[in-house]
Amino acid sequence: MIDMVLASAGLTLIAIGVFCDFVAAIGLIRLPNFFTRLHAATVGAIGGAVVPMLGAALLAIGYEPLGETRFILAGVAFTTSIVTMILSQAGSHALARAAYRARAAPLQPITYDALAEKRGDSSE
Amino acid sequence: MSEMLPVIMAFVAALISIVATWLAVQERDMLIATLFSALQSTCYALIYYLLMAPDIVLVYLPVSVGILPLITIILIKKTERYEE
Amino acid sequence: MTPYDIILTVLTTLLALYLISFALYIVRVLKGPTIPDRVLALDSLGYDLAAFMLILSIYLNSPMMAVCALSLALWIYALDIYVAKYLEAKEVGG
Repeated sequence: MIDMVLASAGLTLIAIGVFCDFVAAIGLIRLPNFFTRLHAATVGAIGGAVVPMLGAALLAIGYEPLGETRFILAGVAFTTSIVTMILSQAGSHALARAAYRARAAPLQPITYDALAEKRGDSSE
Repeated sequence: MSEMLPVIMAFVAALISIVATWLAVQERDMLIATLFSALQSTCYALIYYLLMAPDIVLVYLPVSVGILPLITIILIKKTERYEE
Repeated sequence: MTPYDIILTVLTTLLALYLISFALYIVRVLKGPTIPDRVLALDSLGYDLAAFMLILSIYLNSPMMAVCALSLALWIYALDIYVAKYLEAKEVGG
């Protein structure tokens, strides 16, 4: 009984993750410039990777035919989700900082640039 | 269908890796060529995974996603970025 | 039809849907106008591939293969930092 509950919760989390992944992929194609695509990448990393990993952990605990080693899979999935939750945000933030400071990406559809005033830049 | 799904995924990944290798050979900007090479490495990691060889994945990932772009980017920084 | 067959059928559908979003990520990697766009798309592709590998190890009935996902999630992060350091070194001049 508890196995079926865990497996259903895991499948639901994986389905939510697939939906978020699809939305993130469409956003990465359709959004206009790099700094708006960062939002789509965050949806893809948290909603599309961390949530399905937690779902895989729950599904592995509830899925009997895997045998006794399914607890190893659950532990690895949980660890990978925690690592991804920290590292993806750190990586995209480092990339955004480098792209802003080196002017490697155009800022163009922009309404207000607060960081330019703070740094004392003259550019737009 | 259930047995054919890994084979189909490996086939698609192999086709994408051919495209990525061709673009990496043709590209004039060496940094973009490094990124295409990383895409090819990711596709190869998926193929090795689908062929049930997790030990090769564990060796191939640090070499091709970690060390090869590091050495290539250090070389680009020391020399020049655009070909010709 | 046992409950495990239902789980396998649902997992097959979800894996096929994952492949479509991978194709869209790869389109952005191949045609992204600037370098940070390509790195960002490759990064998201790597993290989603790690989740895909974990689900696939349930689907293929081999739990010991799941360790590769941790390695992939750790090494894709390194690629981000390399390119960020390269772009910033050009501005600072180091």
